Amino acid sequence: MQPVQLFCWHFMAYPYLDKDFDKSGHSGWVTVPNKLWDNNQARGLYQEYIDQLALADELGFDGMVLNEHHQNIYGLMPSPNIIASALTQRSVRGKIVVLGNLLPLHLNPMRVAEEYAMLDQMSNGRLIAGFAPGGGPETFNYDIPSANTREKFWEAADLIRRSWTEDGPFAHEGRYFPLRYVNLWPKPLQKPFPPIWIPGSRSPSTMIEVAKRGYCYFLSSRSHGGETHRAQQEFAKVLEDHGDQYHPFRFGILMSVYVADTDQQAREECEEGVWYFLKNCLKGHLRKEGRQLTYGPGVPYIPTAAWREYMKGYKPGRKLLGDVENWEELEASQSIIVGSPETVTHRIRDLIERAKVGNLLIQFQFGNMKDHLARKNMKLFAEKVAPALRHDSQIQFTKEFPGIDIGQSAQAVQQ
Amino acid sequence: MSGRSLEVNGKKVWLLENGSGAPLLYLHGYADVHAVSESWLPFHEQLAKNASVIAPAHPGCALSDENKDIDIIEDVVFHYLEVLDALKLDKFDLVGHCLGGWIAAELAARHPEKIRKLVLIGASGLFVEGALIGDIFMNAQPEFGSSYATLREMLFASATQPNALEMFPDGKGELEDEVRRYQMLRLSSRIGFKPPYFYNRPLRNRLHRITSPALVIWGEKDGFVPRSHGETYAKLIPNSGDLKVIAGAGHSAHVEKAEETAKLVTDFLAK
Repeated sequence: MQPVQLFCWHFMAYPYLDKDFDKSGHSGWVTVPNKLWDNNQARGLYQEYIDQLALADELGFDGMVLNEHHQNIYGLMPSPNIIASALTQRSVRGKIVVLGNLLPLHLNPMRVAEEYAMLDQMSNGRLIAGFAPGGGPETFNYDIPSANTREKFWEAADLIRRSWTEDGPFAHEGRYFPLRYVNLWPKPLQKPFPPIWIPGSRSPSTMIEVAKRGYCYFLSSRSHGGETHRAQQEFAKVLEDHGDQYHPFRFGILMSVYVADTDQQAREECEEGVWYFLKNCLKGHLRKEGRQLTYGPGVPYIPTAAWREYMKGYKPGRKLLGDVENWEELEASQSIIVGSPETVTHRIRDLIERAKVGNLLIQFQFGNMKDHLARKNMKLFAEKVAPALRHDSQIQFTKEFPGIDIGQSAQAVQQ
Repeated sequence: MSGRSLEVNGKKVWLLENGSGAPLLYLHGYADVHAVSESWLPFHEQLAKNASVIAPAHPGCALSDENKDIDIIEDVVFHYLEVLDALKLDKFDLVGHCLGGWIAAELAARHPEKIRKLVLIGASGLFVEGALIGDIFMNAQPEFGSSYATLREMLFASATQPNALEMFPDGKGELEDEVRRYQMLRLSSRIGFKPPYFYNRPLRNRLHRITSPALVIWGEKDGFVPRSHGETYAKLIPNSGDLKVIAGAGHSAHVEKAEETAKLVTDFLAK
């Protein structure tokens, strides 16, 4: 069995906010005033970020990850496909993971089917196609009604897959996206279709829909305490219930890592960027300040019964990732792994052992972290951390999942 | 008071009934029966002294079944046509608040012959240029992890007045109250989120079809549906008097000034 797959995830934050941004009372999402955008500083920013992703490919990462956000400082990729397109020309080896396009935001899912097909052709079959329904912020910045988002999402996702695999033209008699002539040009290169990844946050219904379709489940949380392991077990159980079998490459997680020669140096180098990320980028998303937009009664996308269950355990005012007040609390949250190569290797190895996870999608650049530090971080990880993780995980996976041929799974279909 | 379920087109509709007299159909808003409160508010008790008040919970609210086929206000109007048939109501007084007022206005414009008298309280539904209806969804998201102050500000004259705090408390309220509030927002997101935002542009030019006498009531400090919407309703419904403004009330006049508002309504219906 293959070793753990290590991906470099870039969020492309807006890094030029003043130090006192947090005192301004503005959210970092949806309503963050765009007069704060400063062209004098931002010129060349996308180039810097794309260059960092191209470096990931040179360093031997298994892929580069992008995602879609709108009207915020957390991620400057309203259209991740545009960055993915640039990467098809700036990388040669790694997968290009778009995780994902937010399907309910598109008037017509065929646009996503077409652009992903183009990216797959342009990258010589390196696309991993992510589909996501979008969360609270997108509800507001694209005026997406919440109540039927999930139904719309799955209809769109299924239509896209069908357009990749069935001969056209055919008519799609859908509830939300009825189309008379579905006839995709170009087709994607990978057969039967590019791997499909779906993010979720441990909701059983998403796991079930993912399992039904044989896709890869990606846990979109930065905190990796007990939940990650539990999510893996839950998903494995759901797969089993659907006559399928779990293996590490059906599952992925988001991590944030900074590595330097010593623990002390790592913390010193990344701290400014990490706090910028936690206090500014997460404000409005995973922070109590600035109104939490990601989840809540104003974005009622989960069914009422699920809301009732959620409310039973809901603790108002509980701390979210962006609410941590000091470094010790951050460390305890197991959200951002910072340290020497030994420390980082040890902690990630632990996580892989416990969570049996085969896809690690790792953020190396935080908030306003300077280019040279982000690059150094990636390099050191590739040289001093990745080899041990690959070596150990291969032994672990081979032992724990004997006889599983990942080639048979829809997820591992290669070009 | 009694509650019962009605089977309408394969879906369960939960409704409360109270009082005796001429039939009065009440369509609820946010700070209201079914959307927060399990039972009647003092305002409805007042109405029930002179009328037989029937208050169905909108689809997906309280114990009414959710209907995933609802996309636009038209779908809700057709739902209520079925409800009227099931209740054998062919001539009745119609009172609606907020979203319920919107539904009431749409019903009255389509079937003026069914309505004896129409009352709108802080009704959404109209497009009025330059007077955007507030964003209840954004304001239903907590600030500082637990505060719903801006939601209360939108729905009441003041975020700190007792009835506002009781209906939309900070933190976490009673579980079933939380669920009812959620259900109302979920229905709202089906019909009131996608632009147009809580309005149906053609409604304005259909109001002239309403033949019944109409009373339009607005809270002085409505922070959700601007008062110019009330003025527009009052102007464009042919048999409406001037807009009645309830001093000191916000969007939820029927809660904040229950007695005064109920008296206006009962006097109007008795005339």
